[in-house]
Formats: sequence, C-alpha cells, structure tokens
Amino acid sequence: MSVPSLQPARPTTLRLAFAPDAPSARAVAEAIRTFLAEQGVPEKELFSYELCIAEASNNAIKYAVGPARELQPVAEALFTPDRIELRMTDHTPGFVLQEKVPQPSVLGDSGRGLFLIQSVMDEVRYLRGAKENILIMRKRRRAHQPPSAARKSDSASGLSLEESHRQLTESKSAHASMAGELSFRSETLSAIFRCCAELGRSDDVAEGFGKRLLVDLFHLTTADWCVLRLLSPDNRTLAVAAASDAELASEAIQLPLAGETPDGIEATVAASLTAARFDLREDSDRAEPLRAVGPEATGLVCPLVFGGKLVGTIAVGRRGGDFPLGKLQDEVVHVFAELLATQTVNLRHHKDEVRRKVVARELEIAQEIQQLLLPRTLPQLEGFGLAGGWQSADEVGGDFYDALAVGEQSLFLMVADVMGKGVPAALFAATMRGLLRGLAARSDDPAEILSGLNRLLYPELSAVNMFITAQVVHVDLATRKITAASAGHPPALYVPPGHHTVVPLPTHGMPIGVMPDTVYRSVTAFLGDPTTLLLHTDGLTDTRNADGRPFGQNRLMGWLSANAIAGHPANELRDRLATELNRFRGTAPMDDDQAFLLLTEASGGAIRSDGSRGPHIQFQRGQFLFPARA
Amino acid sequence: MKIENLGTSLTISEIPELTAVNSASFRDQVSAVLPAELGVIEIDLSSTRFVDSSGLGALFALYRATAQRNGVVLRIVNPRPEIRQLLELTQMQQLFEIVQR
Repeated sequence: MSVPSLQPARPTTLRLAFAPDAPSARAVAEAIRTFLAEQGVPEKELFSYELCIAEASNNAIKYAVGPARELQPVAEALFTPDRIELRMTDHTPGFVLQEKVPQPSVLGDSGRGLFLIQSVMDEVRYLRGAKENILIMRKRRRAHQPPSAARKSDSASGLSLEESHRQLTESKSAHASMAGELSFRSETLSAIFRCCAELGRSDDVAEGFGKRLLVDLFHLTTADWCVLRLLSPDNRTLAVAAASDAELASEAIQLPLAGETPDGIEATVAASLTAARFDLREDSDRAEPLRAVGPEATGLVCPLVFGGKLVGTIAVGRRGGDFPLGKLQDEVVHVFAELLATQTVNLRHHKDEVRRKVVARELEIAQEIQQLLLPRTLPQLEGFGLAGGWQSADEVGGDFYDALAVGEQSLFLMVADVMGKGVPAALFAATMRGLLRGLAARSDDPAEILSGLNRLLYPELSAVNMFITAQVVHVDLATRKITAASAGHPPALYVPPGHHTVVPLPTHGMPIGVMPDTVYRSVTAFLGDPTTLLLHTDGLTDTRNADGRPFGQNRLMGWLSANAIAGHPANELRDRLATELNRFRGTAPMDDDQAFLLLTEASGGAIRSDGSRGPHIQFQRGQFLFPARA
Repeated sequence: MKIENLGTSLTISEIPELTAVNSASFRDQVSAVLPAELGVIEIDLSSTRFVDSSGLGALFALYRATAQRNGVVLRIVNPRPEIRQLLELTQMQQLFEIVQR
C-alpha cells in the first residue's frame, strides 16, 4: 500500500558557511536561490530572497573588524510551505536595527541594504550576541496546497479519499505544531544564551540585562508591551526597571502591608508570588496601574522569585485583543522570570561586593591619614632616649601618641585613646593632636592642657557620644621633674629615684568629652635612675592571650622593671616590649589598639640612627612597631 | 559586458549581473570611457538577471559622475520586472529614465 506523501511542516533547511569575500557571498546567494527554487518557490519570489541574502552577506563582510574579518559568516534558509526564513550570522560589532529603516535618500550612497531587506520581507529581526549576531528575515507565504497526493492515493489502501484527506490534514497540523514548538523552544534557548552572554557586559539589571531579556521575551511571546518592576531595597515598593514604552514607566507600586488588600494586578502577583493573567476589558472600573497600557490590555504578570523571596514582577501582553498565551508562551515567560530573578540577585551581590571594596578603600585612606598623624620623628633629647610604638587592631584605630619639645629643656608627652573606631576616631585624633600643640605653647601644666582640650572638644565629642582618654606628661629634662595629668587614662609608669622597680603615677580624671567643664589635677614626681617612663593605652594591659587572660598592669610593671634596670636604649626597649606583648598574645586575635611612648636614658650613643656623633639620639618612628594586621 | 561608444552616446549592455562582485569594475570600466561630450548613456539591463544594492550604488555613481553635465540623459533599458521594482523602491527612477523596448 502506498503511504500518502506528506508535505513536511518541519522546515527544509540549507545552511552555508562561506569565506568572507564578495564572490563567495555571491555564490551563496545563488545557492540559496537554487535551493528555494527546488522547494517550488516561484521564479518571481526568488529575486527577493536572493536579494536579501546578497544584502545581508555583503553587510556581514563589510562591517566585520579586526580578527573577525577572517571568520566565516553563515547563511541559512528555512523553508516551510507557509513561511520562508533566511538567516545570516555575522561576526561584526553589530548594529541597532530600527523597527523601520527609513527610505534612504536617493542621492545617498549607502544604507540601502537593510531598507531593501525590510521592504521585501515581512519581519526582520537582528539578534545581537557576544561573538556573533543573527539577522533573521521572514516572509509569510500563502499556504500551498500539498501536492495532489490524496488524489493519487491508491484505492487499494482501503481509505476513502475523504478519510485520506482528513488524515493528511491531521498529520500536517500535528507536524506543523511540532515544528512550531521546536522552533519556539530553540529560539527561547538561544535568547537565553544571548542574555547570558550579555551578563558579563553590564552591571545594571535594568539597563543591560533586563532590557535585553525583555526584547527577546517580547518577541517570543508576540507581546506588544512589557514592564519589568524590581523590588525596592526597603521591600516596600515595586519600581519600574525597564519598560517597552516610556509611558509605561509609571510610579512605583506600593506593596500591601500584612492584612491590606493589594492594589492592582502587579501588587497582587507580588503579594501572592503567583502568576496571573488579566484582561482589562473584564473590569473596566477598577483602578489599575496596568491601565497605562491601554483600556483593553490583556496579558500575563509573573513574579520574579529567588529563594522563595520576591525580587520583582514582569508583565507582558497586548494592548488590545487577546494575548495569545498558550502553554509555550506561558512557559517562556516563567523561564525568563526565573532567569531575571536569579540574575537580579546575582548582580545585587556583585554591587554589594563593589561597595564593600569601596568601604575597604575608605578605611585604607583613613589609615593613611592616621599614620600621618603619628609624629614622623620624635624630638632629639640630650641625655635621653625616646621611642614610640603603635599598632591598630582594626583598619583604623583610635590610639595615638605625640611628643613635643618645649624650649631646650622640656618636653610634653601624650598618649591618648579615642573611644570609637574608624574614620571619626582618626579625625578626632588629628584634631586633638593639633590642639595639643596649640595649648602646649601656653602652659606647662598638663592639667591645664587637658582642661583646655576638654573645653574645646566637648561639644563635638558629646554630639556623637564619643570620648577620649589621655595621659599628658610634662618632663623637665634639667631637673628630671615630671608633671602628669590623666583624663580617664591608665597611669604612666616610671622608676622613682632610689627605686629599682617601676610604679604608677597616681593620676585621675574624667575622660575628655564627658563633662563640659572638667577640672584636671596634675601630680608631680621625679625620674630615678635609670630614666624610665612609660605612657601607654589600655591596649597594652588588655592584651589577651589564647586563654583570654589579660597581660595586666602588674605584668607590665614587672616586665618594665626587669628590663629598665638593664638600661636598654629606648628603641631597643620598645622593640622588646613589642615582642613581649606579641609573644604573650600568641595566636589570639588582637582586639584593641596599642600605643605607647618610652622615655629612657640615652645609653652610650649605641642607637644613633642618624649616624651623628654626640649625645643626641634620634629615635625614628619611621615604621610601625607592630606589623599592621592584614 | 559590452560598451558601445557612439560619439555622444554610450551604450552598456550584456551585463549578467550587477552586484558586490562586479560593481566596482563596472564603475571603473564605464568611467574610463565617458566621453567629454555626452548626450545619452544607456544601460541595457535586458540580460541582467540580478542587481543588489552594490549594483545600485554603481548606477548611482554613474549618475554622480555625469550629473554636473548639462543635458545628459541616463537611461535604463529593459530591466526585468523585479529589477524595475528595485529601482522604483529605491527611487532610482528619479535619476534614470526607465524604458521598455
């Protein structure tokens, strides 16, 4: 028995990659013409298709740049009885295809190719990808009657003519729908690939990826409008991120609070996380943001959901008439919504990452500021040695020290701790250092200096609930008299005359910035032998080891006593103290800043970092004592 | 391609196609023989099967090369219907006289 021959609805296809030169392009246009002629396309139509391939391939060759000029363009012809589709894959940088390329001026020399293609074809699309672009040119044809297979069908088959005809029609329509579905799915897939390729290029959901995706979605679903809304950072509103038409970029939609009724279709979809179809003709009275599309709009609103949480909504549809939403269109909108949601979240993470980097850079800058705040060099003192140490637990610390020579024979030492971290703390430290320099010129009394600092800094500090502890010591090098005052700061340690151990200077006082008019009191003492005076922040005594035990004041005094007696020069003593603190801490994390100043005997000029002779020993602060934490 | 130079008139015929492949050579060959005194240029497309936008560009170049001269007639003879449509679509008929014989 003979099987009725069926006219296939699956396209018959010719695909030709060709060398990027005019003769090859010409040969391809002719080959496609021949191929279409073989499919029974009449002579009078062939010219148009040959022309389209010629124009498209000429452009593909003409506009390729750089190494892409070596790449082969690909021409394809897909034939079904009711549609001819021509495709040209190029490797050019691509262009923006206008919906309707204007008629080129008759006196112009170029721009005719695309105009001609659009003139002879029903539908022209240009899909831009990362490495290649595809120009798709479609022409609908009047459906041909299949060849008269039914008539020829053998009576021996036992089928009546009508029955054969019916079967034929059924098979045809089944094939057509299969082919349609296949091509739809393949287009969806390639649209998604193109969008993924787009991802690396743009970091803006709305401007880059989203728009790109919408264009494809738009086309695949044969919608004539679409709106993408994204959830605001406060989760309260849905703002338009991309829309097919400017007038659809309406105001943000308020999301309903718990118990409230959602206002409009998009809000309902967002609140329920469930997609919904709509038809505005059904309920023309209700206020509805989507009415901006038109009074007779129909379509589908789909939520963008990631990890069970709302990211946004996407609405697509038609202005008037039914939005042809079959299962496939439904599916493609959902697939796109899923992709958009995922990528939106990804891009946001990426942005957060960038923000984190910016913050880290700000901290680096603040740290640089702070490093500048520490004195570059300490005063050179005849017969004495001076060294400072500093280390910050965070990117920016609030501890600092300063030393200031007043005249030939006296010296101000200060160690302070701004309670607070980061840039504000560093800025207060900077301010305070400047003020100290001003106040020290007017008074030798540390108590007066602290009172002055408090008076000047109180308004700013109290406004931001910060305060500063500080220890200020005036040293008269000639008489070895020390005068000290404290603003809530650990006491300075020193070796009194006739002693072999260090003791604390009994200073007390309120931190700076707590009360507007704190009065400080100074205490005086004399330096013993060997000269040993340590000003430090509580970061030293609070240094904790892995067991959580603090270094403590007693341990600090014991260590200093033992090492002071040895008469180490200041630099060396500083290094030893640093090593000791780090040794004690071991693997435990550093959780507070540390700053200290050491005044010692100058011992035999052993540490003469500037190479000079004589008793002057310059203790460079040039580098930080403790390696900064990575 | 055949070019006949009859003093003040020039006839170009036997052009199988006018495309990206040969439009430049068409332009060069024709401009090489353009006489100083010119009345009519006839481009006989009777045997021309295909023209693309490069071919149209070559025709346009011919128009430009002669546009400054007074009294020059540019004539396209016997184009196939498809090519005639193409000429009309691109408004080339404003620059060329199109005749069927």
